[in-house]
Amino acid sequence: MTQLVQAIVLGLLIGGVYALMASGLTLIFGVMRIINVAQGAFLILVAMITWWLWRVTGIDPILASVITTPLMFGFGWVAYRLLLSRIRGASPSMSVLLTFGFALVIEGVLNVTAGNKFKSATPSYFEESFRVGAISLPKAQVFGFVAAMVVLAALYYVLTRTWTGRAIRAATQNPSGAALVGVGAAGTAALAFAIGSATTGVGGSILSVLYPFFPASHYDWISRLLGIVVLGGMGSLPGALAGAGILGLAETLTATYGSLNWSTLVFYIVIMVVLLIRPQGLFGAKLREDTV
Amino acid sequence: MTASPPSDPEIPGDLPVSRRRGPDSRPGHDRETGARPSVTGDRETGPRLSATSDRETGARPSATRDRDGGPRRHREAGPRRTHGMRAAMSAVALGVAGALTLAACGTRPSEVAAAKTDKPIVVGISLPLTGDFAQPGSEAKRGYEVWRDMVNAKGGILGRKVELKIADDASNQDTVVADYTKLITQDKVDLLLGTFSSLLNYPASAVAEKNGMVFVEPAGGAPNMFTRNFKYLFFAQPATAPHQADVFVNWVKTLPESERPKTAAYPSQDDPFAQPVIDSMQKQLEALGVKTVYSQLYPADTTNFQTIASTMASEKPDLIAQGAVFEDGVGLVRGLKQLNYSPKILFQTSAPSNAGQYSDAVGLPNTEGVFYTVSWNEKATTPLNSDFVSAYKKAYNADPAEDAADAFAAAQVLQTATEKVGAINQDKIRDWLHANEVQTILGPLSWEATGEPKGQFLLAQWQSGKVEVVAPADVATSKTVVNPKPAWK
Repeated sequence: MTQLVQAIVLGLLIGGVYALMASGLTLIFGVMRIINVAQGAFLILVAMITWWLWRVTGIDPILASVITTPLMFGFGWVAYRLLLSRIRGASPSMSVLLTFGFALVIEGVLNVTAGNKFKSATPSYFEESFRVGAISLPKAQVFGFVAAMVVLAALYYVLTRTWTGRAIRAATQNPSGAALVGVGAAGTAALAFAIGSATTGVGGSILSVLYPFFPASHYDWISRLLGIVVLGGMGSLPGALAGAGILGLAETLTATYGSLNWSTLVFYIVIMVVLLIRPQGLFGAKLREDTV
Repeated sequence: MTASPPSDPEIPGDLPVSRRRGPDSRPGHDRETGARPSVTGDRETGPRLSATSDRETGARPSATRDRDGGPRRHREAGPRRTHGMRAAMSAVALGVAGALTLAACGTRPSEVAAAKTDKPIVVGISLPLTGDFAQPGSEAKRGYEVWRDMVNAKGGILGRKVELKIADDASNQDTVVADYTKLITQDKVDLLLGTFSSLLNYPASAVAEKNGMVFVEPAGGAPNMFTRNFKYLFFAQPATAPHQADVFVNWVKTLPESERPKTAAYPSQDDPFAQPVIDSMQKQLEALGVKTVYSQLYPADTTNFQTIASTMASEKPDLIAQGAVFEDGVGLVRGLKQLNYSPKILFQTSAPSNAGQYSDAVGLPNTEGVFYTVSWNEKATTPLNSDFVSAYKKAYNADPAEDAADAFAAAQVLQTATEKVGAINQDKIRDWLHANEVQTILGPLSWEATGEPKGQFLLAQWQSGKVEVVAPADVATSKTVVNPKPAWK
């Protein structure tokens, strides 16, 4: 019983962090139909900056996201204006090529500047746990989870309660309709890309504490994040949360009760089954153009 | 507990990471596969590698295998006669063509020239200086070059200067074959040294074998390297993966019965250089009566280890032996620490060998007592080792990587054999290596008929924030062994 509770609690904690990392990816896809393969590289970039800030100034890595989040917002904005705006209207496969190239460039630059070595931020609490009865809750995981939930809630608020957010969602659901009522497509897209990039500010800082990383680690992360987003429904924020929770639970439950070798496989089996029944993913909305 | 921020990361022995997954300095393996192709997922790598080598390159040696390829083809052609005269004729023709080619190869110009000359001895090498294996390949190049300079400073080999002819194979199997073919047939080099990784050494060694050239390679220990009955192939590391843990098991045997672990847990990454080590250790320890309470393989992309740690901790094993590449080793230590479960003995295959990166990631105090095995250590008291280390530091202003040391050792093997034979005669060098033991900076090396090494790795342990070699006794840098491992700090 303890083992079961432990596995579920850990699975949810892990899932919360995954959800945050996947939120930017799903947002960017939702608005722009851009599959941002560089999202994983953004995470590693932030993790690297966080690690450096922590090492030089001693600032808490998770708190350092106060600095990295606006930084990534600006980075995303510029990246969109300079690069991604040029493929507006092209097929999504162009976006995969472009962002994959972008990811390789980031990886290469990190290789040259930061070196091809494992890094890991180790604040004082990184290996301590809270104990609730027989259950142990690793502090770093709990702090990461809390930070993730705060960011996801803020993101949800912005998307549903502010004009900007509504504009972004309108552009997601019906770009030409949105344009008709005065939502500037280019500006909205840049904003969405910037917000999507900004989520890696917190996601990457948490990553730097929880997982050792090096420049090429982004391949692992992007494949995991794409899995989550496809399962939850591309473009859906609650979907990313659900997908991430399922991945977290699949990991911990199969590790506890099944063979570890199956933990990754189980997640992808879930994806396949869900897609058979709901091709748009758990929370994905069927768009008008899809049904034609 | 490491307070933030940690101390200087440039601890000696802190090795750079290459490519996709692990840090390069995975002890003792060729990174062949460590070299996860950067684009494809690394989970595929293990199987993919052996699949490619078997399919693509396995075909090559059987078509053009040995020096006695001529007769061999006759034999292979034998059954075809039943299919008709035409087939037989063409088979014979092929055989003759093969024999002619061989005749050409048989009188290697280098051998003729070797009689009396003060021309330099040219050693032909192809290395992955670009591409997936660029990082370890470049280290191997440095190892070879340090060797060349040290040898030439002492008057060369057989009174002749040594010259290296190094080609770049871009980590590509086809290019490496073309490189060695060109080195042998056009550049007519005197000697060969191997390239880096099993992936590349597999086809490269077939070219050398076909041309009857001794092929000593520094990194390429995949099992299928040694199932081809090559006669000119020598792997210049102390042991292949299944024997890397032998030195640890031998240490356990030296413990009095009461101090030996009673129970053990064996988590391992599904990796060609982690899993065989742990698998063989488990079998050997079970034979000693150590009860297995946990044994699991996890995929390479596993990132969360708390669950594994808690499942294992509930069994309270005395020994935890993990097949750990890097992140997984760190993840498990953190998970155990978070649960506050400290086994009496902790062994990890590769992760702890990445000195600075490992201690930074798990916290220096937590490294105390952790065991691992490795092919080479900077402080090992093997002959010439300190000379190598200081020459390397002088030339490159950095700490030598294990990859460079392995290359240096491969060159030592070739040098020793050539000097003992007293001439550049490939067959005599081959026979001498099969019959004798060679002293290298990795310790003594000797070989099975297949080219598989017969030696053992070094058993290293983290002690007071530094790495010490604790076994075998004759090359140990520390007489004390931390046992049992202290509780987490």
